Amino acid sequence: MTTPTERDASGRFVKPEKEEVLPGDETMHPMSKLLFGWVGSARTPLFLLVAVIVICVGLVVIDLAVNRHEYLDIANANGFYALWGFAAFALAVLSGWPLGKLLRRDEDYYGEADTKPHDVENNS
Amino acid sequence: MSGLLGQINPGLLLVFVGFAACLIPVQRVRQAIVVATPIVAMVLLTLAERGTDLSVVSVLGFDMILYKVDSLSFIFGLAFLIASFLNAIYALHTDDRLQDGMALAYAGAAVAATFAGDLMTLFIFWEITAVSSVFLILRAGTKAAYQAAMRYLGIQIFSGVLLLDGLAYVYKSTGSLSLEAFTSFDQPGAKFIFAAFAIKAAFPFLHNWLQDAYPKATVVGAVVLSAFTTKLAVYAFARMFPGFEILIWIGAIMTVFPVFFAVIENDLRKVLSYSLNNQLGFMICAIGIGTPLAINGAAAHAFAHIIYKGLLFMSMGAVLYRVGTAKASELGGLYKSMPWTTIFCIIGAVSISAFPLFSGFVAKAMTMSAVATEGYVIVWLMLLFASAGVLEHSGIKIPYFTFFGHDSGKRVKEAPFNMLLAMGMAAFICIAIGLPTIGGFGYGWLYDMLPCTTTAPADVCLASGEKIKPYEPYTVDHILTQMQLLMFAVLAFILLKRFGLYPPEKPGTILDTDWLYRKPGYAMVKWAGNVWDKAGPAMTATFAGLGSKAFEKIETTFSPRGALARGPLTISMALWSAVLLGIVMLVVLFSR
Repeated sequence: MTTPTERDASGRFVKPEKEEVLPGDETMHPMSKLLFGWVGSARTPLFLLVAVIVICVGLVVIDLAVNRHEYLDIANANGFYALWGFAAFALAVLSGWPLGKLLRRDEDYYGEADTKPHDVENNS
Repeated sequence: MSGLLGQINPGLLLVFVGFAACLIPVQRVRQAIVVATPIVAMVLLTLAERGTDLSVVSVLGFDMILYKVDSLSFIFGLAFLIASFLNAIYALHTDDRLQDGMALAYAGAAVAATFAGDLMTLFIFWEITAVSSVFLILRAGTKAAYQAAMRYLGIQIFSGVLLLDGLAYVYKSTGSLSLEAFTSFDQPGAKFIFAAFAIKAAFPFLHNWLQDAYPKATVVGAVVLSAFTTKLAVYAFARMFPGFEILIWIGAIMTVFPVFFAVIENDLRKVLSYSLNNQLGFMICAIGIGTPLAINGAAAHAFAHIIYKGLLFMSMGAVLYRVGTAKASELGGLYKSMPWTTIFCIIGAVSISAFPLFSGFVAKAMTMSAVATEGYVIVWLMLLFASAGVLEHSGIKIPYFTFFGHDSGKRVKEAPFNMLLAMGMAAFICIAIGLPTIGGFGYGWLYDMLPCTTTAPADVCLASGEKIKPYEPYTVDHILTQMQLLMFAVLAFILLKRFGLYPPEKPGTILDTDWLYRKPGYAMVKWAGNVWDKAGPAMTATFAGLGSKAFEKIETTFSPRGALARGPLTISMALWSAVLLGIVMLVVLFSR
């Protein structure tokens, strides 16, 4: 899969870096091949998107058919949860752009860049 | 026999064995003891009689109730013991005497504090949790961990001091230290005790010790820390401040603000720490509502949360252990080499996101229903926002950026077997208490343990005066609405990612409220220190100079060798003194 054009934090387009040489499939854990073999497939992202859209549409259709009994009026509206879920998620994620600019400092800002505990195996 | 065993406080057992374990040099012997003790403690707990003072010690004429079990403390105590057992298994691959022992003692102190029958006992174990847990951070061995541990210890001890202040007021005004719920902030000591609990529960602006210390702890330490301190504070709030309306709003704010920090944070153990804060918010909010349904919601949430949050910290710990980092910007594609860890992490992630069939769903549903029933629309909307936020940082960000996403090219070994075993057991509990009840298996097991049941409700359940009604989480409405919320949030994730609108994971330090005391606060103290260093000696010299000059003057005037002691002046002084004395005496005589 080719890397799509990326943007950096300030929204400028960045040239995709040279394709890294990744270890081949022979290094994969046998259990990974069995359970997650489908993840690496080029069609997976599109398939997932379609599957999620189908489920979402299905949920809204069921909502139209079911007469819900909520304590709060606002929650009784058809598709209220769908809208709120989508909007809340999008708001949380998109707020990451300005908040990142506002609050992110250098890793060694407090002079504590090294936080790797001593009990890790990979101590290189 | 069972009566006698039922009087042994399981928390005290853990504390004693924990301290003793620090002295056992043989790794396997020590670890066998550390794993077995929580199991023995669970057996002891099941033998305990409910509602009576099981162990009372008289100290300086004051009766300390060391062990008292009711349905509220039971569920918290049991959750702590299960967590302690899982943590002991998770730690089997390391040979660290201090960490093994202190992890057990810390868990024991939390259990003992839960079963405390009076404020003084609560205070003592409250402080032991602080002192024992600090080693889990210190053992990481880095300078950052040392500094964070000192800040952590200072703040925790301060919480203890506030609790001590509060209990002194309570004792002075009532003459008793019994652990009873407050009804208003006007009661003596209530504000102090509230503040003490607020620090440990990581309320907004008091929360930063958590995100500061937990991600810097050892691999095992962070898992252990995630379970006890904050949930002990939640228990303490449920015990002493049920139905305090301010908690509803504090809880709601607590669920919302960490969402924003978790989105931009790169260190995934820190993301989990923010997520912890968000989850505590749900519990605090429920305690503020204070109805039996809400108290049940808080207790069920705490139980489920201790397990799935532990599981998530375990999976990130396993990654950190094998890869050497838990930073999202350096991870990705690990499903290729850590498939089991991936699965367990996903189970933890869907549990915390409250997907149906998992523990978070049956626990959180009660809190949401309780808030809606009481008509708090804004609070309810905040909690709903936070539920989508949980899905973002714990449900998607953690597993996606670690195990999937951009392949980092890192190929490591799967986590050690003991870690997988602990994660597997935690994952099993997440599913077992989340499923619909099928043949005695499912959420019914959790619901039967809740504090507000019709058979033996805890005192706090009766405070609101509401009736205790059974609750059914698996209704069409609940499943449908929860799935709508979550699936549309997932859709949002896929679309944002597809259109390049998802902020990239970048290394860096995210400023939070701790900046106030770590930068300007520290700078001010340092400045004051510098000023004192310079001004101190100068001032001392000036005062010393002034002092000695004044002394010389006085000496030259009044000493036997001084001016006043010489010749005629002495006689005139005596004369004048006699005249003045005479006048005073006359005035006194005539004024009567």
